Amino acid sequence: MRELTRAAWHIAVKDLAIEWRTKTAFASGLVFAVLVLAVLFFSRDPTAVSSQDIAPGAIWVTFTFASMLGLNRAFLLEREQRALDGILLTPIPRTAVFWGKFVANLAFVGAIQAVSLPLFVLFYDVPIWARLPELVLVIVMATVAFVAVGTLLSAMVVRTRYAELMLPLLLLPFLVPPLVSGVQVTARLLEGRPLSDLSGWLRLIAGFDLAFVTLAASLFHVVLDE
Amino acid sequence: MPPSEPVLVATGVARRFAYRRVLADVSLAVSPGQALLLVGPNGAGKTTLLRVLAGLLRASAGHVDRRAPLGMVAHDSMLYPALSARENLRFFARLHGVNGRGRVDALLEQVGMTQRADDRVGTFSRGMLQRVAIARALVHEPGLLLLDEPLSGLDDAASRTLAALLGALRDRGTAMIIVSHQLELLRDVGTHIVRLADGRLGPVEPLAGRDPVEVFARQMQGMG
Repeated sequence: MRELTRAAWHIAVKDLAIEWRTKTAFASGLVFAVLVLAVLFFSRDPTAVSSQDIAPGAIWVTFTFASMLGLNRAFLLEREQRALDGILLTPIPRTAVFWGKFVANLAFVGAIQAVSLPLFVLFYDVPIWARLPELVLVIVMATVAFVAVGTLLSAMVVRTRYAELMLPLLLLPFLVPPLVSGVQVTARLLEGRPLSDLSGWLRLIAGFDLAFVTLAASLFHVVLDE
Repeated sequence: MPPSEPVLVATGVARRFAYRRVLADVSLAVSPGQALLLVGPNGAGKTTLLRVLAGLLRASAGHVDRRAPLGMVAHDSMLYPALSARENLRFFARLHGVNGRGRVDALLEQVGMTQRADDRVGTFSRGMLQRVAIARALVHEPGLLLLDEPLSGLDDAASRTLAALLGALRDRGTAMIIVSHQLELLRDVGTHIVRLADGRLGPVEPLAGRDPVEVFARQMQGMG
């Protein structure tokens, strides 16, 4: 267990160091987030639909697609020069690669979300500050589910010719349940409903977290085999 | 483990890609201090064999038993272009459980990359990339080395330095399988030679001081 944690940590730190240095995925994710928030904001008729009505959907659409750019990047950087083979030649447990990538992807997606959230408030004028802890809790919970599946699927598609296209195609069906739950909880939080009213949705997201993380971690060694 | 006991044993290894057979019934053993030159025409299955022996590809049939830590140099460098040579080596050293900075610095010096140690690998020429890849393969002092065209991209001086390094490792007991078309540069390294053609392995011949280039030429004539 200690060896797994140590190896996963080294892989996560390496991935984040590469992203910090190149900033390619973060920059494109951020630009994409701003674009989606702006397009959705200006696409509505302000006399018919208030910005608060579309805000929960807008924030989750933004998070999802901006994060997908990062998930794609996670294994593409292993494909160039076949660096993943170098990792597989070391004696670390293969699951450590999953956990390392999972942690790095969570950090990456978290960074995109942290920058997007103030922009979201700016565009949509939603009163999130009073409900910020609850909102962050929901965002973290839903993000864990889709990052877990995204990490598994990005490892699966990286050897295919159209990896960038394949990942969204495979990932989106898995994202529907946690995303719908995330949108529902966000909408109710922004309406001012107490967290205790949302326990059913939160339990559902926690269930997806448990199922997706367990499934992804246990299947990961299979997708690494050529 | 007694010194003469093989560190790598492959028994009846076969590999297919869809309906194409690439390796058929390959059996071989490599012992400490043995440097086996694996030769054969393009497309014979040499790279596939090394990947199966390394555990990077699963054998369709047969079994591979590795009894020593493994290092490998392949066509691709297995390095991260955005990291420096030193950062790459430290990363792989940590995954191997090697923490000494001294080991990384010593290897960078051995392959002549000390001056560029802190430059990003993505800025390196093919030859420089190959030198760092060799250092990566040696970072954990493996008992078994699998080398796929290790001299490719290196200039004459670097090739001679690497050949000397491989000879020294062999003398210290490292077992190795070397795929190369530059046999003349490996005269002082190889102890045995074997030919792979159409996925089938010929007999392993000890070189015993003979020139591998001549032995290979004779093998080719025998096939013809």
